[in-house]
Amino acid sequence: MLKRALGIALLAVGLAAAPSSAQVSGQGGGQAKQSFVVDLPNDAATLDPHLQWDTDSYTIYRNLFDNLVTRDGAGKIVPQIATAWRYLDDTTIEFDIRSGVTFHDGSPLTAEDVAFSIRRIVDPALKSPQLSQFDQIVSAEASGPAKVTLKTRTPYPALFPQLVKLSIVPKAAVERLGDQAFNLAPVGSGPYKLLSWQKGVQTALAAHEGYWRGKPPFPSVTFRVVPDVATRVADLRTGRADMVRQLGPDEAAAMKGDGQLQVLSVPTERIGYLFVNALAGPTADVRVRRAIAHAVDRSTLIEALLQGFGNPVNIVLTPANFGYVPEVKGYEFDPAKARALLKEAGAEGAALSFLTSPAYDRRLVEAVQQMLQDVGLKVEIVALDHPTFLRRRQGRPDEAGSLSLGRWSCACQDADGVIFPLFRSGGLWSKYSNPAYDAEVDAARRILDEKGRLGHYRRAFEILREDVPGVGLYQDFAIYAARKEVSWTPTPNEAFFVFDVKWGR
Amino acid sequence: MARFAAWRLLQAGIAVFGVMTIVFVIMRFSGDPTLLLVPEGASREHVDALRRELGFDRPVIVQYGAYLADLLRLDFGNSVVQRVPAVDIVAGRIPYTLMLAGGALLIAFGVGVPVGVAMAVWRGRAAERLLAAFVLVGQSMPTFLSGILLILVFGVLLGWLPTSGTGGLSSLVLPSVALGAVSMSTFARMARIAVVDELGKDYVRAGRARGLSAGAVVMRHVLRNAAIPVVTIAALEVGNLLAGAVIVETVFAWPGIGQLAIQSIQSRDFLVVQVIVLFVSLVYVLMSLLADLAYAVLDPRIRLHGA
Repeated sequence: MLKRALGIALLAVGLAAAPSSAQVSGQGGGQAKQSFVVDLPNDAATLDPHLQWDTDSYTIYRNLFDNLVTRDGAGKIVPQIATAWRYLDDTTIEFDIRSGVTFHDGSPLTAEDVAFSIRRIVDPALKSPQLSQFDQIVSAEASGPAKVTLKTRTPYPALFPQLVKLSIVPKAAVERLGDQAFNLAPVGSGPYKLLSWQKGVQTALAAHEGYWRGKPPFPSVTFRVVPDVATRVADLRTGRADMVRQLGPDEAAAMKGDGQLQVLSVPTERIGYLFVNALAGPTADVRVRRAIAHAVDRSTLIEALLQGFGNPVNIVLTPANFGYVPEVKGYEFDPAKARALLKEAGAEGAALSFLTSPAYDRRLVEAVQQMLQDVGLKVEIVALDHPTFLRRRQGRPDEAGSLSLGRWSCACQDADGVIFPLFRSGGLWSKYSNPAYDAEVDAARRILDEKGRLGHYRRAFEILREDVPGVGLYQDFAIYAARKEVSWTPTPNEAFFVFDVKWGR
Repeated sequence: MARFAAWRLLQAGIAVFGVMTIVFVIMRFSGDPTLLLVPEGASREHVDALRRELGFDRPVIVQYGAYLADLLRLDFGNSVVQRVPAVDIVAGRIPYTLMLAGGALLIAFGVGVPVGVAMAVWRGRAAERLLAAFVLVGQSMPTFLSGILLILVFGVLLGWLPTSGTGGLSSLVLPSVALGAVSMSTFARMARIAVVDELGKDYVRAGRARGLSAGAVVMRHVLRNAAIPVVTIAALEVGNLLAGAVIVETVFAWPGIGQLAIQSIQSRDFLVVQVIVLFVSLVYVLMSLLADLAYAVLDPRIRLHGA
């Protein structure tokens, strides 16, 4: 009797634990897609576009807002809320503001809203982490019913690449709600408006009827938070998600056989590079740095570890950035030459510390370590948590380690946002000092003439080639995956606008 | 009884305070969130200015004093990352954590105890060895592996259950199984030991001699006596289930406080971490207190006032 009772109990428990219903979201084959679901690795930190600037936050909130200017498919800066602009002098720009644009609350977007948005992000009281991107702006005024005049501290060529990221917020709503409430219930003029934000779970958006650029492609869009990449892939396979962000090269390669899915990837403005400390340790000797540049085999890294999701580069900049100079040569892979240089420097067997954090692919770190050991250096990997890594990497030269990987994007597609902070003397990231180099990058950010700027950058990269404070490794690819019905072209600046997505081929 | 409870509460308060202080100091000495917040390429002046604005340039002892002063006013501060009150962020996650812990406990207890009792009753037979293998798998399979396997089999291949997220009860099944598996094995082993222990005692033989069936003896008498160690384990397991759900929550995209804790530690969102630590340590303390009190209910021989 006891045994039977036990048997029944076990069976009952087994049944209770068994699934009761299947749940797979249907794929709307044929008719219009009602709801578009995107899996992101993280929730938005803020939905106020003037606060956090991390990929997951802006992937969501940029769909709620319009930008002053934007980039077209070819990467050219084109009008969005500004319809035209002109330089009144080298530091004063006048913008014409589009009429007929309304915010989600029905109020019209005015020149006053644009001027307010610019002043808000540069106001220290907002404590915006993005302030550094806009700090060359000294004033913004509505100078007419549909005109805004903006002044910069000095002539500033990177202004427009930065303004691509400036979302326009409604002055009245921000002032009425206050910063904290506006972050939780943002109002924009973009193609989608916020329906609900369940922190840590999902953000639901609904189409903004009467959007000035036309009807948004889906009545509703949901961004879900799915931290584990294997789970994002499972969601995609079962149709629970239509698109997922941030896949590794391995997951992307594994997906190639699945006819229901597609991998969408694009070479971005993000540069993978090897930092080499020019101010401290064995790498203070330029011959050791040149030896390192000769010892690294880019094509092996790209083919074997990145599965081809990367393009080799000669310099610490990608072709997607202004200031890229293809004529500057790189260091060819030549272990013999590397060994000779080390011998000349008396640095055979020199001990280098290679700082890294979970933000960097451990396999890449180990592959580079192996390549450097092969030419006779002793490389010790120092694994740190990311805040500690940043503190050391940005701290004193003698604490910054000899080597570390970097994956850098300024989201501005301009050399000024890359090699200025990385190598300009005195910068947080710079462990290098050469007045001739400083003069070139300083000059390039003070003139508006593009040809003149390119000349400065060519000379700057020639100096960097001699001094090797960093080795360009590869142009990073952004990798997304989507159901096969999705038609969308990813962009080099890693922007994701649902408005540009189409469903069905 | 009341004095005992008061004394235990005081001890618990000191423990919680100590944990809070340790976490505060460790977090502060491992870097602050400023560098994680600024975009790449921010200048030294901007980093310093933001750090000053956020108050992380002050000495740790000053920050700690300010923190305690705020705590006394029940102000837990704002998240520097999300710019909303830390308490609201954590409170929003607690229901999910409770749901998952509840589901996992149901599976752990509902499967573990019957399996353990069965193993005791059937000890030495093939059936016990079979169940022992089952228990071993539950105990030794790491959740990041079992979680992905469950998703692959029941989510992708069979399509019976959602692969991730929080839509309804069906979403709760897989994460509960993954999380409950380890505790299930603990319950099974504890229940087996306790029942085997009791089965050897005189009252069992006496009961059988009185003509009661083996089932009736186990159900009416043995289980009640075997319950005490199992209840202790249950109380401790609740704490583990609340705090140990980090991996399961990440794999299944379940928005509980384990996932939040990891994210907040990574982004050095100090005040959110503090609130989570406070919550988890309170739960631990409360649970062990409840276990103590539960003994009294189950076993009148235990006298609490002397403890």
